[in-house]
Amino acid sequence: MKILMAEDDLNIVTIARMALEKIGKHEVVVVNDGNAALDKILNESFDVVLLDEMMPKLNGREVFAKYLASNKKHNRIIFMSANNRDLDDKPLVFPEVGFIAKPFDPMTLSQQIEAIISGSAHKQEAV
Amino acid sequence: MSSLRAVFLFLASLSLFSFTGFGFLAYDAWKSRLKLEDKLAQSYNVLSHAQKAFDGDKKVELNFKLQPNFRQKTLTAFEKNRRSRTRLTHLLKTELSFQKYLYQLKPELTRRVQVYWLLAFVFSAVSSLLYFLFLKNSIFKPIFYLNRRMQDFLNNRYSYEFEAPANNELGRLHSAFNQLAQKVLDQIHDLTQLDRAKSEFLSIASHELRTPLTSIKGSLSLLEHGVIGEVNPETKSLLGIAGQETDRLIRLINELLDLAKIEAGQFPLNKKWIPLDQLLKKTKDSLQGLAESAHVKLEFHCNPHIETLIDSDRIQQVITNLASNAIKFSPKDSKVILRVIEENNNIILEVEDSGPGIAPEDQVLIFEKFRQATSEENPLVKGTGLGLAIARAIVEEHGGEISVRSFPGKGSVFLFSLCEWRLSKAIRVSA
Repeated sequence: MKILMAEDDLNIVTIARMALEKIGKHEVVVVNDGNAALDKILNESFDVVLLDEMMPKLNGREVFAKYLASNKKHNRIIFMSANNRDLDDKPLVFPEVGFIAKPFDPMTLSQQIEAIISGSAHKQEAV
Repeated sequence: MSSLRAVFLFLASLSLFSFTGFGFLAYDAWKSRLKLEDKLAQSYNVLSHAQKAFDGDKKVELNFKLQPNFRQKTLTAFEKNRRSRTRLTHLLKTELSFQKYLYQLKPELTRRVQVYWLLAFVFSAVSSLLYFLFLKNSIFKPIFYLNRRMQDFLNNRYSYEFEAPANNELGRLHSAFNQLAQKVLDQIHDLTQLDRAKSEFLSIASHELRTPLTSIKGSLSLLEHGVIGEVNPETKSLLGIAGQETDRLIRLINELLDLAKIEAGQFPLNKKWIPLDQLLKKTKDSLQGLAESAHVKLEFHCNPHIETLIDSDRIQQVITNLASNAIKFSPKDSKVILRVIEENNNIILEVEDSGPGIAPEDQVLIFEKFRQATSEENPLVKGTGLGLAIARAIVEEHGGEISVRSFPGKGSVFLFSLCEWRLSKAIRVSA
């Protein structure tokens, strides 16, 4: 799979890249801030996008909101965040999107991503 | 007017003194009039006696006393000496003019009585009216107004519109209330700010604590599982220890943040109707690994038709906590049994173990923060000491209660109640 990872913490990037490339044998593209992430998401196609919620310049939610507003829906987006979901005042509606909480386990990261993708595929079939 | 008390005293004294003052004057005039009548009667007496004495020679009985004294003396002298006629004539003349004077005085005195009474009534009527107006406008109106403002404040309709209260007792009361209300509002504002700061802190703290732990846990896990290259068994066991402790630290942070959120009242429940047995099955599956490593058998019994209105993640957290505690404290090859019982409109979830039990004095303490029973023999017992405190908070947020029944040496039963439940549609329809 071709995966875009938008993450500003370089240590996490290193670990996640290692996990995805060595264990899952995926191809990983990394961007380090929100603007770059939005640019990539709008103009390129990936099998899945891992989007960190807290990033410099443009945070994950803003990137996602702009992506939804652009009417392009060619990328599946999975949020990654160290914040609990229930801390959010307004829970986002996630069309075809999943959530992976940090800290994640790198050994099972690929499995988690695949589970979310197949889950959302099932949901779409059901709809 | 600056002081209501001064106005009150003025009006009160006005009504009191005007009434008593004019009343006294009227009484005085009335008494003078009585005296005048008396004098007239005496004067008639004097005249008739003098007349008799003058006309006839017979002796006149003076059977009354005359005032002033000279009249009596004149008459008595006349009795003794019939020649003093001149003095008698003079007496008669004086008496007549005295009578004339009294007659003139009579209507004057009568009028005076009437006027004084009238003045007394007019003054008391006027002062009563003033008093009534004073009570109405200066006392009751401000009191009702202030009362309305207070009611408004209690009903969260406090308005900031400025109006200067009058400079008197009630006005000062009103100012004091305004200051009080402002103080309360300021404090509410401060508390709201504090609340916001707290939730921001929670959000930042959870992010800042979890981010480095992500890297630590990830690195350790990749190393331990040989993704980078084979590691020797000793290194692997050390990495395993570091990994386990990192997991424990993550758990501790999660639970601390949960607890902080509960205490900050920022613990929203995402309640949905859920078949209870599905939730129990999911929970049982997730606990299977722990149970197997402790050689404990899990048994969950539940009526498959029960549905509950709960935040399933949170209730699963509670059941996991109770069941994993039970597993940790159970001896090898024993059973941990979970039952669901319907009782008094509630459903009760019970987790029973055959562990060492809990001393009665500890049965309340274990639900407090950072309280946990320790066990030297059992290495699995290594918790954060927050689990039961969080479980209790979650159950209470759902409107239920959590408790324990236990005898040392005879195992423990942890139970909690859920109040929002129903039987599933299939059952309700067939019933």
